Amino acid sequence: MIFGKHINHFYWKYALSFLLGIVALAIVDYLQLIIPDIIGGIIDGVETNTLTDEILLEFVFRVLLLAVAIVIGRFLWRIFIFGVSRKIDRDLRNDLFAHSEKLSERYYQENKTGGLMAYFTNDLEAVRQSFAIGTIMVFDVLFLGGLAFYKMFLLDWGLTLIATIPLIMISLFAAFIGRITRKKFKARQQAFENMSDFTQENFYGIGVIKAFVNEVKEIRSFKVINADNYDKNVAFIKAATMMHVAIEVFITLIRIIIIGIGGYLVYKTVGLADGDPNRFSVGQLATYISYFATMVWPMMAIGRLINLRSQAKASMDRLGAFLDQEVEIVDGEDTIKVTHVEGNIVFNNLSFSYPGSRDEVLKNINFSIKKGETVGIIGRTGSGKTTLVDLLLRLYNLKENQILVDGNDIMKLPIKTIREAIGYVPQDNFIFSDSVKNNIAFAKDEVSFNQIVDMAEKSDVAENIDQFPEKYETIVGERGVTLSGGQKQRISIARALLKDPEILIMDDSFSAVDTKTEESILSSIKELRKDRTTIIIAHRISTIKDADKIALIEDGAIVASGTHDELMKQSPLYNDMVLRQQLEEAIEGGVTDGE
Amino acid sequence: MANKVKNDYIDIDSVRLRKMSDGQIIKRLFIYVKPFIKQLIFAIIMVLLLVGLDILAPLLFAEVINQLSADQINEQTFTNIIIIVGIYFLTMIVSAILSYKQTMLLQKTGQKIIFKIREDTFNHIETLSTAQFNKVPVGKLVTRVTSDTNTLNSLYTDVIVNLFRNSLTIVAVFFTMLFLDIELTAYICIVVPFVFIASFVFRKYARLVYRRIRYHISGINAFLSEHLSGMRIIQIFNRETFKLNQFKQKNNDLYKSNYFQTFINAIYRPLMYFLYAIALVLVLWIGGKKAMVGALEIGILFAFTDYIRRFFNPIEDLAEQFDVLQSSFISGERIFEILDTLPEIVNAPDAIELTEVKGEIEFRNVWFAYLGEDWILKDVSFIVKSKQTMAFVGATGSGKTTIMSLIVRNYDIQKGEILVDGINIKKIKIESLRSKVGQMLQDVFLFSGTVESNIRMGNDSLVESDIIEAAKYVNADRFIERLPEKYQELVRERGNNFSAGERQLLSFARTVLRKPSIMILDEATANIDTETEELIQESLKKMMNIGTMIIVAHRLSTIQHVNNIAVMQKGKIVEIGNHQHLLKLKGLYYNLYQLQYDKATRKEVKEINI
Repeated sequence: MIFGKHINHFYWKYALSFLLGIVALAIVDYLQLIIPDIIGGIIDGVETNTLTDEILLEFVFRVLLLAVAIVIGRFLWRIFIFGVSRKIDRDLRNDLFAHSEKLSERYYQENKTGGLMAYFTNDLEAVRQSFAIGTIMVFDVLFLGGLAFYKMFLLDWGLTLIATIPLIMISLFAAFIGRITRKKFKARQQAFENMSDFTQENFYGIGVIKAFVNEVKEIRSFKVINADNYDKNVAFIKAATMMHVAIEVFITLIRIIIIGIGGYLVYKTVGLADGDPNRFSVGQLATYISYFATMVWPMMAIGRLINLRSQAKASMDRLGAFLDQEVEIVDGEDTIKVTHVEGNIVFNNLSFSYPGSRDEVLKNINFSIKKGETVGIIGRTGSGKTTLVDLLLRLYNLKENQILVDGNDIMKLPIKTIREAIGYVPQDNFIFSDSVKNNIAFAKDEVSFNQIVDMAEKSDVAENIDQFPEKYETIVGERGVTLSGGQKQRISIARALLKDPEILIMDDSFSAVDTKTEESILSSIKELRKDRTTIIIAHRISTIKDADKIALIEDGAIVASGTHDELMKQSPLYNDMVLRQQLEEAIEGGVTDGE
Repeated sequence: MANKVKNDYIDIDSVRLRKMSDGQIIKRLFIYVKPFIKQLIFAIIMVLLLVGLDILAPLLFAEVINQLSADQINEQTFTNIIIIVGIYFLTMIVSAILSYKQTMLLQKTGQKIIFKIREDTFNHIETLSTAQFNKVPVGKLVTRVTSDTNTLNSLYTDVIVNLFRNSLTIVAVFFTMLFLDIELTAYICIVVPFVFIASFVFRKYARLVYRRIRYHISGINAFLSEHLSGMRIIQIFNRETFKLNQFKQKNNDLYKSNYFQTFINAIYRPLMYFLYAIALVLVLWIGGKKAMVGALEIGILFAFTDYIRRFFNPIEDLAEQFDVLQSSFISGERIFEILDTLPEIVNAPDAIELTEVKGEIEFRNVWFAYLGEDWILKDVSFIVKSKQTMAFVGATGSGKTTIMSLIVRNYDIQKGEILVDGINIKKIKIESLRSKVGQMLQDVFLFSGTVESNIRMGNDSLVESDIIEAAKYVNADRFIERLPEKYQELVRERGNNFSAGERQLLSFARTVLRKPSIMILDEATANIDTETEELIQESLKKMMNIGTMIIVAHRLSTIQHVNNIAVMQKGKIVEIGNHQHLLKLKGLYYNLYQLQYDKATRKEVKEINI
């Protein structure tokens, strides 16, 4: 059993189940220890020739009743305690996911998905086990072990005291070897990690390895690591086996003591009368042996319990660290209660560098967008265009009044309101492994099928979808049909359009789409977006030529802005871009949408 | 590299339909066990002995009880007890030693088997071609080598051993009981069929729910993996609540399956206990009556109560081995799948080694497609004479990088020939070919280690001065000397602690160190600071003197020094010649030149000296 800030409330939440389970366990343990009494009674009865059919029947019947009760009890504690552990597992997993939804872009940049998955799998399982088998073991050790010991003591305190000596020795020995075992365990884990790291690096860099014909060298290096794993594993197994065997030896020693000294006691007191408290009968010896037999499992459990506990604690620490991870992007206390956004945006001397970096990605951006305007943002790769919209989406925190939406500081507006008002077509066209329909309808809870088809048509992807095996029900992504870049892009556009947002942001959404298709989509958008703000980030001049306003960004700063005609007249850089792109078009004969 | 091929990403683990039968997997695994068959047999013999000794203990107790229940208790009784205790003590020692030795033998053997499987798996993966690597996520390949082999291990060490021990125990206990009292054993046998029925039914449900659980787990994991990567989109679209609910639902489905498994176990285990209790009751009743009339020794009666426990426990254990067995088989299948994948690029049986390489490269009517007939190169022909430099230019996707890949046989071409010194590269041993070609790829991959180890690339016959000389030759020494640890500076995260320019220089250094006769350079397109840019250009000039060089060029300065330029468009060479010649053509090269290479100057072309 472990405790921690994030799991203690589970003990309260499921207190009833825990309690019932523990009570059932206690009763089962208590009843279990009556059976040895009965067996002992039978043996004594036979030995003293006092046993009759009736008495025997009664004994046997009692055993049957006990068995029934024990069976019910065992069922119950399993259902209660293991069942609860499953509930906790589910609850904790939900908590982890819920928290992961709150974490910022910065967190996900720094922490790769692969590592995060371990929280949900290995760590969670270790914690669950401590609730399940961990709880059982703790109470079994206490009840069964304690009660058995107590009854042994009552039966013959002298014998019990002597038998305790190896018991104490086991504990000391276990603690001692336990430390060594843990060390070897860590060494083994480390060796495994080394092997994983080596293998991963090797496979990532296989291109270079093949280029330098270093395969043989790498194989040799791997052999060394492989051998190291063998050594560390064997070392650990040695320690663990030593511990296991030693504990078994001690237990057997106790048994030997019992039959030796116990046998002696029976032999010594054979002359005494039946009712004499000093008499240690042969039946009592049998009972005593049985008591000890029930103690064995709890004793072995202690070692396992210690291991389980340390693993669970380590995992809980990791989970705790994750759950304690600060939520950076959150509404402050002074949030203005705005529910509707018009679409007036002002970039007010905006300068920004990514958290942890000193390089300014945006430098003194001054730019305003009026509601209903279609604005084009153009610039080279790495000029800062995407960062600009990331900030508009509140993916990072800003200083005061750097971006104003409808006159209000974006940092003071409710995040949900802003994001609700923005439709976003991302550069990477992330699509979920889900049906086309669900992907397009992603933004809303309730959407009619007609709306979905309508948006697909406006994004010029309806024709393609109709050719898919299941049309709109076709599953796309990892587990389904692989879409071409262009298809993904257009579905992405449909997804954003369906939201009918106050502000539409399209980040490089036409790169995989040919100019003809681009034109058709753009004209649909023009219609849909009348009187609504639209921001289009592009590489191609053709995409934004007709925008109300164009901003040319270079190295994080706006170097020119105006309409296309104005920029042609005023900006040599802009002119250059236009010329280049015209040439590009001529050379490449236009990019075709790969299918 | 092959961006197109990456779309064929096979998520080979998400839908794991078992293609190999249990029997096939066992057969394959057995091949690895064969060398150690002697050890295994020895271990089994020890297990046999241990089981035997285990069976002895209740008998010893029984004898003590018998002695103490006899009508005549005297000194002889006590002596007998001492003897029994002595025997017990001896068996304890022997058991302990046997137990330790047997476990160690078995585990060590298991580890040796894993060692071999791991070695084979890793070595085999090393032989696969780059294209084959691109089809599978690296993580999955790593799992094959690391975790799957581990899971297999538990098959040998836990499952098989327990199988033996449990089966042996059941048999041994049964015969012992039979030997001690046939009538009692017969009564116990009444219960046995029920035990088997219960275990059989349990196993069926256990299998069912296990599959269900695995299905839900992989569903949740796929969901998590995807949604953690796409958290940005979820947040931007304000769909956190929606997705949380979706997740909760999946999670709940998993919970239900898990709960069902708990339920099944909650019935099975207590049920087995109940059957044991029935057997106990029978033993006490029948045995008790017999003991009353002296037809059965009391000690034996007591021993029976112990034996029935030892009889039932292994049966329960056997029924529960299922989970471990299944995951072992799955792991086994994954490993064999990889081992069965043949490398695509192999040496011809009569392949030769290159000795003196002059460095003439020729492409003759080469056609190449990564997939099917989606031609990346269409009838490409050119010759680069020894020690000459040729640059390839053209728009993205025109085929330039592919040509580099083909020279070193990362892929095999479908039509045409590629010749080095007049020999078709398919007739040259791959290792020989690649060792003569220095490859400087666009994204420089550095390995964890030091700057020095990354230049040395495993060649232990070189001394430090060789390394430094190479670095100096390519102008890399300047930035290296500025590093805190200089050549011993640690390389982290695949070289991310170095700038793109610095990484390019390091890749030059490690290439020239091998004194290649042919060099291939895929120029970095990333922004490189001017100072490093100059160093790179200088060292390129020097390197062009070492041997034949083929460059995928993006920089004006690079192009101006080469002997020949080939202009590619959509997989074909459309213009070829030197810089001046091509400019005069006022064709594609002329346009490209204006387009990309004039960025710095922004002058009109006619101002450049022709």
